Amino acid sequence: MSWPYDSMQLKVMDDNMLKVAVGEQGPQEEAGRLAKQEDILFKDVLSLQLDFQNILHIDNLWQFENLQKLQLNNNIIERIEGLENLTHLVWLDLSFNNIEAIEGLDTLVNLEDLSLSNNRISKIDSLDALVKLQVLSLGNNQIGNIMNVIYLRQFTCLQTLSLAGNPIAEAEDYKMFIYAYLPDLVYLDFRHIDEQAAKVAKIKHQYNIDELKHREAQMQAQLEDEQGQREKLAEHKLAFIEHLDGSFLFESLYAEDMEGNKLSYLPGVGEFLEAYKDKFVIICLNIFEYGLKQQEKRKIELDTFNECMQEAILENQEQGKLKVAKFEERHLQCLNAIREETELSNIEKKLIECSDDINELFNMLMMLEMQLVEQLEETINMFERNITDLVGLFVENVQSLMAQCRDLENHHHEKVLETAINYLEKILKGEMDKDLPDDVRALFVDKDTIVNAVGASHDIHLLKIDNREDELVTGINSWCTHLVDKIHKDEIMRNRKRVKEITQYIGHMQSELDNLECGDIID
Amino acid sequence: MEVLREKVEEEEAAEREEAAEQAEHAEKMERMVRLAEVSKEERILTQDELRDLEKKMMAVEIPIPAERPIINKAIIDVSKLPPSYTTNSPKEEHLLQVADNFSRQYSHLCPDRVPLFLYPLNECEVPKFVSTTLRPTLMPYPELYNWDSCAQFVSDFLTMVPLLDPLKPVVKKKEKVSPKKYAVKPPRDLTSRFEQEQEDKRQQEIQALEKKRLREEEEHLLEAEKSKPDPLHGLRVHSWVLVLAGKREVPECFFIDPLTARSYSTKDDHFLGIESLWNHRNYWVNMQDCWNCCKDLVFDLGDPVRWEYMLLGSDKPYLSLTEDYDEGMDNDDDVEYLGKEDEDKSFDMPPSWVAQIEITPEEFETRCPNGKKVIQYKRAQVEKWAPYLNNNGLVCRLTTYEDLQCTKGLEIKEWYQNREDMLELRHINRTTGLHVDYFKPGHPQALQVHSYKSMLPEMDRVMEFYEMAREDGLIKREETPMTMTEYYGGRSDFLSYRHINFGPRIKKLTQNSAESNPRPMVKITERFSRNPEKPADEDVAERVFLITEERIQLRYHCRDDYITASKREFLRRTEVDSKGNKINMTPDMCISFEVEPMEHTKKLLYQYKTMIHLKNEEKLSRHQAWESELEVLEILKLREEEEAAHTLTISIYDTKRNEKSKEYREAMERVLHEEHLQQVETQLDYLAPFLAQLSPGEKLTRWQAVRLKDECLSDFKQRLIDKANLIQARFEKETQELQKKQQWYQENQVTLSPEDEDLYLSYCSQAMFRIRILEQRLNRHKEMAPLKYLALEEKLYKDPRLVEFLKVFV
Repeated sequence: MSWPYDSMQLKVMDDNMLKVAVGEQGPQEEAGRLAKQEDILFKDVLSLQLDFQNILHIDNLWQFENLQKLQLNNNIIERIEGLENLTHLVWLDLSFNNIEAIEGLDTLVNLEDLSLSNNRISKIDSLDALVKLQVLSLGNNQIGNIMNVIYLRQFTCLQTLSLAGNPIAEAEDYKMFIYAYLPDLVYLDFRHIDEQAAKVAKIKHQYNIDELKHREAQMQAQLEDEQGQREKLAEHKLAFIEHLDGSFLFESLYAEDMEGNKLSYLPGVGEFLEAYKDKFVIICLNIFEYGLKQQEKRKIELDTFNECMQEAILENQEQGKLKVAKFEERHLQCLNAIREETELSNIEKKLIECSDDINELFNMLMMLEMQLVEQLEETINMFERNITDLVGLFVENVQSLMAQCRDLENHHHEKVLETAINYLEKILKGEMDKDLPDDVRALFVDKDTIVNAVGASHDIHLLKIDNREDELVTGINSWCTHLVDKIHKDEIMRNRKRVKEITQYIGHMQSELDNLECGDIID
Repeated sequence: MEVLREKVEEEEAAEREEAAEQAEHAEKMERMVRLAEVSKEERILTQDELRDLEKKMMAVEIPIPAERPIINKAIIDVSKLPPSYTTNSPKEEHLLQVADNFSRQYSHLCPDRVPLFLYPLNECEVPKFVSTTLRPTLMPYPELYNWDSCAQFVSDFLTMVPLLDPLKPVVKKKEKVSPKKYAVKPPRDLTSRFEQEQEDKRQQEIQALEKKRLREEEEHLLEAEKSKPDPLHGLRVHSWVLVLAGKREVPECFFIDPLTARSYSTKDDHFLGIESLWNHRNYWVNMQDCWNCCKDLVFDLGDPVRWEYMLLGSDKPYLSLTEDYDEGMDNDDDVEYLGKEDEDKSFDMPPSWVAQIEITPEEFETRCPNGKKVIQYKRAQVEKWAPYLNNNGLVCRLTTYEDLQCTKGLEIKEWYQNREDMLELRHINRTTGLHVDYFKPGHPQALQVHSYKSMLPEMDRVMEFYEMAREDGLIKREETPMTMTEYYGGRSDFLSYRHINFGPRIKKLTQNSAESNPRPMVKITERFSRNPEKPADEDVAERVFLITEERIQLRYHCRDDYITASKREFLRRTEVDSKGNKINMTPDMCISFEVEPMEHTKKLLYQYKTMIHLKNEEKLSRHQAWESELEVLEILKLREEEEAAHTLTISIYDTKRNEKSKEYREAMERVLHEEHLQQVETQLDYLAPFLAQLSPGEKLTRWQAVRLKDECLSDFKQRLIDKANLIQARFEKETQELQKKQQWYQENQVTLSPEDEDLYLSYCSQAMFRIRILEQRLNRHKEMAPLKYLALEEKLYKDPRLVEFLKVFV
């Protein structure tokens, strides 16, 4: 930068400086007087201007939570920092500073207008969070790679871009390139983009852009695909039957089972295994289907319950509102009557009447609330019973299906054992001595070894099945308890809130009446 | 359908009938008796059957008891009627004999019963058999295709009976929802049931007493109103239409009263019995007992025990018609079809003697004779007019009265049509003086309903507007002398209601009448619907500007799960104390109640800003209220102008009334006609007579072509010469005659009377004129003849048939 800031005094962004700025830029005249009287809180400030202040570091801005517009241009800032809390920022001006890299903007999701011109930035990046960006000003920087512009394709709202004064802007093809690669752009370097030129540019770069688009589309499709799969899995997880819609569980049985894998090389075992797998997968699928159905049932149950709760609450609310409205009407008349009344004894009589009215309203509203609490409690209990039953039934049925799995495993185990022993005998007799891998052959030393090996495999399998079952059962049970707890808690919260509201309202009414009394006495 | 004659009620009905007949005759409508019949076995209805029924339905008539003098000869010009009216054909004579025979046998067998209504005298005093007075006719109006609208038309034509069109209230049926599983149980009812019952009992007793009193009163009134019992009950005769079940999806037999166009069940108490019935094919006498009115009658005309038929040939209407109707689908030739039917089925029944009914579109639109009709009802009167008859568009007026003598009017309802200001109905309540005008969509101010007692401004009045038609979304504006209430919908600022209270007008010292002196506004109340984009605590539901008290009250919307709403009140009392415009904002100027206290709203600055904003809003609201007042004045002025002008609109499709389109159409027709003439002229083939001389199919040779041309030309020359000679001859003749006359005049000049002299002079001038014209024609002919000759020659050279052969010579 050309101006001799060394000779000037550097300023630090401290409380004082901010206060002065806020005071100067805040409301004026009567409003300003009031503002001064009350002290403006930093978090109420919407716009702040701090230009030509010789600021080196951005600091002390964390209190300006609701700031929407911040001007820090014409300072000597070297790093973008300390803006993390300013999430409501829409307009940020950091031009005419000494910034070298774009950074520290990751929380500013609402930013629409960003000015970074006349800095020393050499690369456009770290802007990913700025999804609403409309205007980006990067003129007079050091951006040298034209391909860097492609990074801006992701900002669908971007309409205005300025890059003049950068090394890339001197390239012959600069404008054409940007027209072609950023087709949604309306203004480039403060000039409206001619449609004709944009068309020409598009034709010129057609090939490259098509390729780029193809890649982008592929990425997009992949992302969507993953997203879909994640959603599906989440749905299955909700039903506690994730990964049961295939052979996943079966494969997991053999995943850590060394012996089992070795044994499958035995002649005949392969066929058993195939049959076993088929049957096992069918049962898994059964569980899966059943789980989805049960999930649907639970959902319907919950929806109906919520709907009925909402209805009851709404109806109660309506009644309450009606009561309040009626009361207010009467109360207003009463107050007016009191104001107009001159006789002291009459005033007192009426005041007492009013106060009685308020008490009556309180009683009525509280009664309504108690009524609702009672009604809801009953309903909640009923729902709790039903949902517990539903979950119990689900668990029971899943357990019985799992038991079938275990039976299958036992059966398979017996068969494998039998085959293994037969084979061992044959080996011992020296009959079959062919193409067995060495590590499998190592098992067939004596009967104990082979029985142990088969048993170990069996144990692992049973353990896996048990684990899966436990996972499911605990999952659903904890879901159920959480749900019921939450419903109870919510209801309690609702009740407290309403009671608080009623007391607050009654309190206000009462104090208003008291004030009136005082006022009358003073009068 | 059958027209039945029999003794029933209502002498007046018969009288009305007569009046109607006369009116009908005046309209040159042939009276014809008719009757469509629907036979039962036709389960499947074909197009033809429908058409047939239609034909039958069309032929409308009223049978008249023979003993009554029916025809007013002064009205009907008998001489213009076709001969079938005045004479009987041999077949008809024969039929009459058969009928006479039947009648004699009948009176012999049933001496107690009234003579049959078989062959009344028609308007020419010729006896005609009733069935032959029916002539099924198909009319070109779709409205006349179904019995209800057809009967309505007939009843209008005969006597005015409008069916009232009361604005039926829409009854909303509330669906009973089955209780949901988790629906909360209703709160326990802790009130004492015993007390409730006691209370109910007491209420019921009071109600019963009240009811009894009311009933007694009513009975009293009814008795007073009840006319004396009819001494002729059961003796009166009447005729009406019976529709038999079967064809055209008619599920069961029913009656239609032609005078009121109302349908009655055959079990209706009003119909005491049936003597006989007939259609255009046959005549049946009822042999069943009518002690229980018509309730027990069986309408199976094929049953000879119950229904004695007159003609043997068509005694099975229920069985024999099917095949015929099934044949000849979509038969366009109705006449032929009818003829065939007559031939087949009722060989003994001669064709109808009456002329076909013709209803012109004008008559159809006019409906009632002269387009106007008055019907008197008990305590009510209906007047009907044809559209465009009244220049203010009035088409119907219903007046209801308090008393039987119809002197004290209660209510007037006037229906309008084709009004340019879209006025549709005006309802005037005579007792309260309330006028309610209903408008169709399209009023320049989007007015829908306007109810008022007086057209003066600042009085009680309600204006409703078509909601979407107005830019400001105003739906309704109610006014009383001291208030104005406006209802809005669909506004972007969510304003839904504005109520203005006015104070008494302050008298201005300056008596400048041109300056308006609006009433001072005391209070403006505005309500807003919920703006979903704002939190409820910041969304104002109601704001009240108490202008004289200098207070502003705000009430916010209620949050979703709350029952109380935030409130805020601004007092501006301090403003008066300070000099000039400076306002010292103090905390006691704003009293607020917040459901959920918020930090920023506690600030004076916030309150100050809100107050400044509200002050501006108040100014705006006052301005809008003032504009509303102006608008009311404007609308009232407009309404008055419209009322004074009451222009009627004419549809562009209305070819009769739309003058512009008529002119245009006529011009078009003229042009077309001229074009046609020209075309005919150009198409005149000058060669045709010469070509005809050649044998057909023969090819022209050059020699023939040349000869043809020469012949044609010489012929034309001859014609020109002939024409010249003819004109010359006429000219000479006229000249001679004139000379003779002059001679005669000179000879008798002395003796001539002045009249003769006048005659002679006028003859002379006329003759001179004729001679002059002939002279001109001759000269013109002489001029034109060579040109015409050359033109023909030219044409002949260019004629496509000759051009090949004549080319050489050119």
